[in-house]
Amino acid sequence: MNLVVNGEAYRHNGQSTIADLLRECRAEAGRTAVMVNGDIVPKSTFDMVRLSDGDHVELIMIAAGG
Amino acid sequence: MTEGLKLGDRVFSSRLLLGTGKFSSTDAMIRAVRASGAELVTVALRRFHPGRPVDDVLAPLAAIEGLMLVPNTSGARDAGEAVRAAQLGRELCGSPFVKLEIHPNPHHLLPDPIETFEAAKILVGEGFLVLPYMPADPVLARRLEDIGCAAVMPLGAAIGSGQGLTTMSMLKLIIRDASVPVIVDAGLRSPSEAALTMEIGGDAVLVNSAIAAAENPELMASAFAAAVRAGRDAWKAGLMPQSDAAAATSPLTAFLAGGEAG
Repeated sequence: MNLVVNGEAYRHNGQSTIADLLRECRAEAGRTAVMVNGDIVPKSTFDMVRLSDGDHVELIMIAAGG
Repeated sequence: MTEGLKLGDRVFSSRLLLGTGKFSSTDAMIRAVRASGAELVTVALRRFHPGRPVDDVLAPLAAIEGLMLVPNTSGARDAGEAVRAAQLGRELCGSPFVKLEIHPNPHHLLPDPIETFEAAKILVGEGFLVLPYMPADPVLARRLEDIGCAAVMPLGAAIGSGQGLTTMSMLKLIIRDASVPVIVDAGLRSPSEAALTMEIGGDAVLVNSAIAAAENPELMASAFAAAVRAGRDAWKAGLMPQSDAAAATSPLTAFLAGGEAG
């Protein structure tokens, strides 16, 4: 399916849950926060929430900062 | 009075808080955090881009026992963005704290007082322990305290400027009136400024650039830690009163002038 991940077009080949997308992207689920179409998805539901074609996904991590 | 720094229901024994940005490497940052003795450090959020390398700061910070990671809302331009960033930060860090910072102008990075106040109201309502980065404005400090912020964090000078305590007279007013901790955040350059902040009754300082941009960040971190402790002790000890005239510390006998040489 075609997604927009962090503002860039992304072709997702795996299954349709957020957990699948994170696996494909090699993003650690425990260290990634996810928004889909502007809504924050709780970590506990990553393997239940399904993505749809055209969804806008934001993957956020911790970085150094002041 | 408890000697620790009380933020919400948490008590910290260190009054030096560190930002983790701008270090030359993650390793240098971790060594500085350890040398500082800080129990609370700030971190930022950023997007993860598939296929691009990740500099993981979370794992080495999480390995430091007892260290509280506080996400900031840097990058937010208004209250709505800041609230969203705080919610994401809570998902990532699991910390009840958020360093609320909204600075829409990249030239001076001064905090927007109106958006900061609006965001603080919402975040306090959502159960966050809000640490707002704010202009050194005693009226705003009181307003942020009144709506339930866990501390106020007035600036000494612009972020990363190293100009020191340019807001000294306002900081004194904020400290005099505040009943939540006052954490002076931003603009400090030298440990003596951190000590001075504590001597005037500040509760803590948050330092980042002054340590990260030092030639030896690890040594500078320990220098700041010592300065914060010294300044705090000096405040507790009570500074002597000042006088326009000299006051001798030795007995002023005239035995030399009296010819008793030898």
